Amino acid sequence: MSLTDDRFITLAHGNGGRFMRALIEELFARHLANPDLDTEADAACLSLPPGDVLMTTDGFTVQPLEFPGGDIGSLAVHGTVNDLAVSGAEPVYLGLDAFIEEGFEIACLDRLVASMARAAAAVGVRVVCGDVKVLPRGEAGGIYFATTGIGVRPAGVRLGVRRVQAGDAVLVSGPVGDHGTAVLLAREQFGLRGDLQSDSASVLPLTRALLDMPGLRFMRDPTRGGLATVAHEIIRASGLRMRLRETDVPVREPVRGVCEMLGYDPLFLACEGRVVAVVAAADAAAALAAWRGLPDGAGAAVIGRLEAGEPGLVLETALGGERLIEELEDDPLPRIC
Amino acid sequence: MTGGNGGAVTHRLTVSGRVQGVGFRPFIYRLAQREGVSGWVRNLAGQVDILAQGDPPALHRFAAALIREAPPAARPLLTAAAEVTSRPLCGFTILPSEAGSPRQVHVPPDLFTCDDCLREMSDPNDRRFGYPFINCTQCGPRYTVITALPYDRANTTLAGFPLCPECSAAYGDPADRRFHAEPVACPVCGPRLRYAGSADPLDAAIAALHNGGVIAIKGVGGYHLVCDAGNPTAVAALRARKHRPHKPLALVLPQDDGLATLRALTCPTADEIALLTSPMRPIVLVRKRQADAVLAPGVNELGVMLPYSPLHHLLLRRFGGALVATSGNVSGEPVLTDDPDAEARLGGIADGFLHHNRPIARPADDPVYRVIAGRPRPIRLGRGNAPLEIELPVALPHPILALGGQMKATIALGWGRRAVVSPHLGDLESPRALGLLRQVATDLQALYGVQAEALCCDNHPNYASTRRARGWGLPVRPVFHHAAHASALAAEYPRTGDWIVFTWDGAGLGSDGSVWGGEALVGTPGHWQRRASFRSFPLLGGDKAARQPWRSALALAWESGSAWSPGAQNTDLLHQAWQRGVNCPPTSSVGRLFDAAASMLGLADTISFEGQAAMYLEAVAAAAAQPVPLPLTRDATGLWRTDWAPLLPVLRDRRLAAAERAGCFHTSLAAALVAQAETLRAETGITRIGLTGGVFQNRLLTEAVFALAGQAGFAVFLPDALPCNDAGLSFGQLIEAAACP
Repeated sequence: MSLTDDRFITLAHGNGGRFMRALIEELFARHLANPDLDTEADAACLSLPPGDVLMTTDGFTVQPLEFPGGDIGSLAVHGTVNDLAVSGAEPVYLGLDAFIEEGFEIACLDRLVASMARAAAAVGVRVVCGDVKVLPRGEAGGIYFATTGIGVRPAGVRLGVRRVQAGDAVLVSGPVGDHGTAVLLAREQFGLRGDLQSDSASVLPLTRALLDMPGLRFMRDPTRGGLATVAHEIIRASGLRMRLRETDVPVREPVRGVCEMLGYDPLFLACEGRVVAVVAAADAAAALAAWRGLPDGAGAAVIGRLEAGEPGLVLETALGGERLIEELEDDPLPRIC
Repeated sequence: MTGGNGGAVTHRLTVSGRVQGVGFRPFIYRLAQREGVSGWVRNLAGQVDILAQGDPPALHRFAAALIREAPPAARPLLTAAAEVTSRPLCGFTILPSEAGSPRQVHVPPDLFTCDDCLREMSDPNDRRFGYPFINCTQCGPRYTVITALPYDRANTTLAGFPLCPECSAAYGDPADRRFHAEPVACPVCGPRLRYAGSADPLDAAIAALHNGGVIAIKGVGGYHLVCDAGNPTAVAALRARKHRPHKPLALVLPQDDGLATLRALTCPTADEIALLTSPMRPIVLVRKRQADAVLAPGVNELGVMLPYSPLHHLLLRRFGGALVATSGNVSGEPVLTDDPDAEARLGGIADGFLHHNRPIARPADDPVYRVIAGRPRPIRLGRGNAPLEIELPVALPHPILALGGQMKATIALGWGRRAVVSPHLGDLESPRALGLLRQVATDLQALYGVQAEALCCDNHPNYASTRRARGWGLPVRPVFHHAAHASALAAEYPRTGDWIVFTWDGAGLGSDGSVWGGEALVGTPGHWQRRASFRSFPLLGGDKAARQPWRSALALAWESGSAWSPGAQNTDLLHQAWQRGVNCPPTSSVGRLFDAAASMLGLADTISFEGQAAMYLEAVAAAAAQPVPLPLTRDATGLWRTDWAPLLPVLRDRRLAAAERAGCFHTSLAAALVAQAETLRAETGITRIGLTGGVFQNRLLTEAVFALAGQAGFAVFLPDALPCNDAGLSFGQLIEAAACP
């Protein structure tokens, strides 16, 4: 029997038998095929170029599964690739786990895996191993992915949040909050808007552009919790104070408008294709120029700096005030009396 | 009585209360001289210890005058008096201070300039003629100059000014009114003014003010931004540069004959004049004589004060008219105190700086008062009334530091049966405010010699004070916002029995996880039960609703199925968010009901300062408007809830005058409150009601409640030691902790 006869995933697609083999070969392998992917083998045998080997893993549970500017398939590639990229590595291989809910539409699964394959091909990363599980109805939000990435970092590249120093500049590669806003509106079915798209993308071109810079200290992609959360991670690890200038943080007008109307702070909304970089002040202009020369870095900006002092995130407001931005805690309950 | 000394007897007297740093010992010395009493006086562990020997009538006069004639800044309390045996004494002396437990110390607030100093300052033959830092044991800076205890010159910010021979002699002479006046100063040895590029700083500042300039002037507890109140261009420049388009600006008025300037601008009542001229010298909200759209647009009152420091006296005399004097800060932040900080942060606002070189140990803003229901009610604590000491109704098990709320923050230190509340610290959004919170927390503990063993904070997880409490390293006792409000009120009127306390404000986290702000709590401190509230409605966009009253108007309209459209806004997206419950937390906030009403009347769709919408609504309201009955029903949980919906048709009825609509809103809420009180009285038998929460800063509403509830047989109480707004939370947290550790 062929997979294409079925319209929905059943528990049989996960029981290790014929249906499962058909699902893997006719759907997953068909899209993700590459010389290193052997669906018969229990383990992939790989060789790596010289350099430090970096490995990372990430889970993906976004709702809705498809949203303007991306879907959970491409996200599962970009998320893990970006974790390697901001660590200074070139991603080489991915492992994939799929957790699919019984009753999931096979046509949708096909779209998601195709999108995943396109994203992987664009980056030049190969999916070399994988697993599929089917969960009983009601036990998964349609589908979850987990991807594990292996990358290689040129010897001598030294990046880390502990290298961050007082006086360093903070840059972001483009407008913040696009992904969080697009997904929020899609999830709540607010109706589609052409001007709000997720920024889901590989950040490899952006990270490559800075890697040779001697003053590069640290990079991170601001995903869950957004720019403010990355800032707090840097502050916590470095013991420094970060100052951001509100007017210098790029936010797209439609994103700003939605946040203003719904009462959200773009500083806390997720990005999926941006990089926050900390560089020595002397290299800030060069880093900015390098990013602005790239298609995905046209909206890059120097947004602030690190300084000695009591650790914390200080936002210099448009009106000349200073606001302490605290870490996100659960739901932002109203507190203004 | 001992023999050999005629009819003389000897008494040992102990005086506690605020008796240090206020010239109390020299006063006792002079009193003893006058009454022919011999013996001695000394400081002992924060109290004053007196041995007095004389004939019985003289001792009687001495003891009575000791309280009755005490210096204005002193608050003496005769705590012990006993006859003792003594050998005959000769003369009266001031003995050196006895070291001991500092736990009974009282840190005095900064004191207004006394008449004697004013006289000297105005006397061309006096060595302190025109000297802006003149002071004595009766007046001058205290809280803002003390760096450590004991209160000695070396422990003040004047330590860097060695006394000249003349000041030194006065300081050491028990008969001199500057005996041990720690901040004593004169033109020879004391602090000086500075104005860049000018040999006569005061002259330069006055000239700049006359030219319409905005000048930052360093005062007692921080900088003021000052300009000519009679020059609309200057005021407009100040507003534009400070990003303060609407918020009323306070004025400092010359203390001229018959308070002519005050009377020209306002219609003060006798109570208000008494308050203005009291030693605290607060800003008082007084009814304007004429409409004005420059100093306090949209409201009927002006915030005015009289000069309280010698510098302000000189300034006002030389300038000859009213000056705007607003806190020298960036909006919401603590007032600036340090010269370089002020130049850096106020550089874009001020055309010039009148500095002085007496450092300010910690800031104190001007206190603000409004007379409501016949009594002065504080809106803000500060210079002149804080640190404020209040006796606790029950003793604390151990010293506790209460960190209060998020906005208009104060902190409170409690130990035994004593509690001390800090001046206004500002909104805890800025790094400076949080730094100040930590400094004042450290300073209060050091000055009073008390080490906190536990902390209190609000239950709101995202208040900056709550986060700081958790990182402090001491056990933390969180207190629900409205319980703290209710307990602060109850502790001001300590007596046994239950209360019905109406805690109406903008927002506070309730015990059910929703945002409260219109609650009736029944019980006693530590044991409050929420028994009545308002029909719930959503905060569209969370905190955004607090800045944009149109959101509350829309929320009420959508919730009650009636039409309303806030001007040009496209609210489709918000409507979808409301339908799906996206960032629309439910609230029962009366503060937001005021916002909704003001928006529906077209008074304020967005606001630039807290309370703006409610203030505008109060200003236009007619006092005698007919109320609309608001239904009071039990919800599924048994909680009484007042439905606001019948207000909407009135608020939107454009055929009615704004005065009528706004007035009806006030009287309807007052009637709704009394209806809740009557229902709860029927259930509980309680006849004592309290009003607290920022909403009751509204005089029209509060006085309507006093009148209606009084007619209905209730005894009504409103805080008057502490503000009813969130500045009272820190004290209320202490009370909750004391009642229910």
